[in-house]
Amino acid sequence: MKNNYFRFILPVGVLLVAAIAWAGSPQILLSPGPGPSTASFASINKVFTGDWQQYGQLFTTWQGGLFNRIFLLVLTVVPALFLLHFIVIGPKKFSHGGRQIKFFGVLTRLLHWLAALALSLLVITGLMVIFGKLLGGGSLIMTGRAVHLIAAIIFAAAVTCLFLIWLKDMLPMPHDILWLFIMGGYLSKKKKPVPAGKFNAGQKMWFWLATLGGGVMAWSGYNLYSFDGSTDQLRQMAIIHNLLGAALVAFFIIHLYMSLFAIKGALTSMITGYKPQEEVEILHSRYKI
Amino acid sequence: MARMKFLCDVERCIDCNGCVVACKEGNQVPVGINRRRVITIDEGKPGEKSISVACMHCSDAPCIAVCPVDAIYQREDGIVLVNKKTCIGCGYCFMACPFGAPQFPSGKVFGARGAMDKCTFCAGGPEETFSDKEKRLYGQNRIAEGKVPLCAAMCATKALMAGDADVVADAYRKRVFARGSGANAWGWDKAYGKK
Repeated sequence: MKNNYFRFILPVGVLLVAAIAWAGSPQILLSPGPGPSTASFASINKVFTGDWQQYGQLFTTWQGGLFNRIFLLVLTVVPALFLLHFIVIGPKKFSHGGRQIKFFGVLTRLLHWLAALALSLLVITGLMVIFGKLLGGGSLIMTGRAVHLIAAIIFAAAVTCLFLIWLKDMLPMPHDILWLFIMGGYLSKKKKPVPAGKFNAGQKMWFWLATLGGGVMAWSGYNLYSFDGSTDQLRQMAIIHNLLGAALVAFFIIHLYMSLFAIKGALTSMITGYKPQEEVEILHSRYKI
Repeated sequence: MARMKFLCDVERCIDCNGCVVACKEGNQVPVGINRRRVITIDEGKPGEKSISVACMHCSDAPCIAVCPVDAIYQREDGIVLVNKKTCIGCGYCFMACPFGAPQFPSGKVFGARGAMDKCTFCAGGPEETFSDKEKRLYGQNRIAEGKVPLCAAMCATKALMAGDADVVADAYRKRVFARGSGANAWGWDKAYGKK
């Protein structure tokens, strides 16, 4: 009887030891029981917060005070400099009599004014969003956002046409560097011929910023509108859109000052399409009439 | 004054999504908007963990810092709320948030984003307490009734805790001590810092 008992228990005991040894292999004992939480926190972070410290923090600090300060600076310093220019040096005056030189065709002028209207709306509604606090937010700014979207589509279409029309005349030339050195002659009252073709270096800078920069604005703006892509991508788009927007607003103000105040009667050339001969000979001395 | 906080115990959450359903149903949240989400990592593998996350009602909330129209504000008890009538749906709060909490319904004009919607800690909104408008725009106001948020109230395993920060932290500390595995609650360092 005793012998029988041992004969039974020995194989069972051997089996048990083998089973324990097998269970000890990591595949079985690593059940989804309590593991180290800190390790899983890192994986959870990846899903929710991502690399928040990289772009999230950057976006938060910049949008939390830098962007609206940059825009405020642009809106105050640029006009202040021009006011100083207007008082100290004053506008350039040219005789509007004599021969008139054709500068802009009908289609060019129409497209220009379409783009001008769209860009004015873009600047106004964009600034409405940036300084939304002062306007109290709500449906007024919400409407501004919708107008921003419509204006952007019109601007993109008009500027694409203008890009193709003006591309040849807007290519950088060696004399543009000379123009930049004397700041286009705007810092003196003398009427000396300025090195520039159909368009001067300043106009070329505005052209390239408005077309290529406008393209980047449209691309980043579309991303912000559609809200597709990763959060990091959206943060980058918002940063690009704001910084480039500030540059565009600055050049928009420069363009306004140049056409409305800096040269007497400059606005008429975009309305009638003609510039007076004296103005062309001085400000666009290399333009072949 | 008590400081309200959320705490999700990763060791207890079983991915039942009860909190998500309770929040959506109880607050009549619009389609396509999830104020609360549950995510699971290493699903089906050893070490699988789930966590339920909504707005954490941060101390130094980045969404408040970036809002261009000051639509987001923080109550004295730490609850962060949005005024939907001021919000312009620009989406900046979503970009600033480390938890992906702000949600946006598609608006009426060209599908552009409408006013932001997020977890209110079941504390309603800036409208008059218990008014129809408050219920329609923000959902229930259980805090005013002296109750904890819906999600935490219905959590079957009591993984999700909500309420006075000191009480919640104390309960969690006891759990961690009993389990013998030490870890701070997920998200607390980001959301609350030293406060």
